[in-house]
Amino acid sequence: MVNGYAPISLREALELMAAHKLTPYAGGTDLMIEEKREDSFLFLHKIPELKQVSDDGEYIRFGAACTFTELLEHSLTPALLKEALSRIAAPAIRDEGTIGGNIANGSAKADSALIFFVADAQLKLAGAGGERLLPIKDFYLGRKRLDRRPDELLVEVLLPKKWLGSYYYQKIGARKALAISRLSFAGLLTIEDGKIAHCATAFGAVSDVIIRRADIDAMLIGKTPAEGKAAKAAYLAAFNEAIIPIRGRVSAEYRKTVCLNLLGDFLERFGI
Amino acid sequence: MDDAIVFTLNGKQVRYAGSATARLLDVLREDYRLTGVKCGCREGECGACSVILDGRLANSCMVAMGRVDGGTVTTIEGYRETARFKALDEAYASVAAVQCGYCIPGMVLASECILAKNPHPSEAEIRVGISGNLCRCTGYNAIVKAIGIAAKEGEGLW
Repeated sequence: MVNGYAPISLREALELMAAHKLTPYAGGTDLMIEEKREDSFLFLHKIPELKQVSDDGEYIRFGAACTFTELLEHSLTPALLKEALSRIAAPAIRDEGTIGGNIANGSAKADSALIFFVADAQLKLAGAGGERLLPIKDFYLGRKRLDRRPDELLVEVLLPKKWLGSYYYQKIGARKALAISRLSFAGLLTIEDGKIAHCATAFGAVSDVIIRRADIDAMLIGKTPAEGKAAKAAYLAAFNEAIIPIRGRVSAEYRKTVCLNLLGDFLERFGI
Repeated sequence: MDDAIVFTLNGKQVRYAGSATARLLDVLREDYRLTGVKCGCREGECGACSVILDGRLANSCMVAMGRVDGGTVTTIEGYRETARFKALDEAYASVAAVQCGYCIPGMVLASECILAKNPHPSEAEIRVGISGNLCRCTGYNAIVKAIGIAAKEGEGLW
């Protein structure tokens, strides 16, 4: 085809990526907004390796070219991810848009990426030099800047299963459908044997990159809910300092206020 | 070697020899003269350009031609020939669910995708199903009603 390739295996796709300057085309729903299309496209929809979903015990492994609709319909997709996916855009965009594209578009507003951040997901990239795994947090170097070499493809998202059951999720948009997040928040909190066994938070659409500060969340881990309550003011103050919002469609002040309100509401839901 | 993009368009196999990065919307309207596919926003916000791609609703403004290689595209021109269309057509007319009509080709294809997935949708499911298709005339209630009527009157078609 002219200005594009539609390989039918991952191996063929990686050979093409190594030999040509190509833009990977997953769902196209972000890519096609741009009027200028200088590079040829590498179409990923025919590659079976990028469409698989499996459970290896520790991780649910999602092929990067799985569409939002496919994952909404899949029995292995955890409830938290389904909730976030169901709030993305509208059916026609969910039918084409993919998790890999959502991540590799490099935006802090990506609603599925927020869930992968809060869960500390790993990404698998493949290229001419072989495969590598990296935490999603390390993949983002800045707004629209990613740790991806031109020959590499994002092939798989590994979502750790362990702490996903007990969650809190909020997306703030201007309307129900077709809404770009003004702010999004996901939190995981598990209490086991009377102690906070796990606490993780992520803030989307606030800064250049989704904010995930495991070091601050660690302030609550190991504490009883009562001890957590005592540490709450210091925890909120630490996030107040850590969250440096950018001004975009909404003001930085609004973003910061809503972030802290949601964080407080998240803790209250779990009795902290 | 055949370099063209080959796909099924409204039931017929076609070969497109142009760029794989071209928009499906533009190719449908300009190369195949299927002007029932409307262009509202060119950024996936309005649904006027909706088509059915491989059995699911898609905004044709956000689909590059290389994506349809080996696939199946149905536009309102192809869908118009079906019994399901007739049921929707009559249902829309019965409650005056069409005013200016610009959103209607996309709205009808969205209706088809709702009913193909679930022949007996609730009102809430209908509203989710058309949530990416904007209509500036009707206020949606008549359209939601029409889809419900089509589901009932067209019992057995979906």
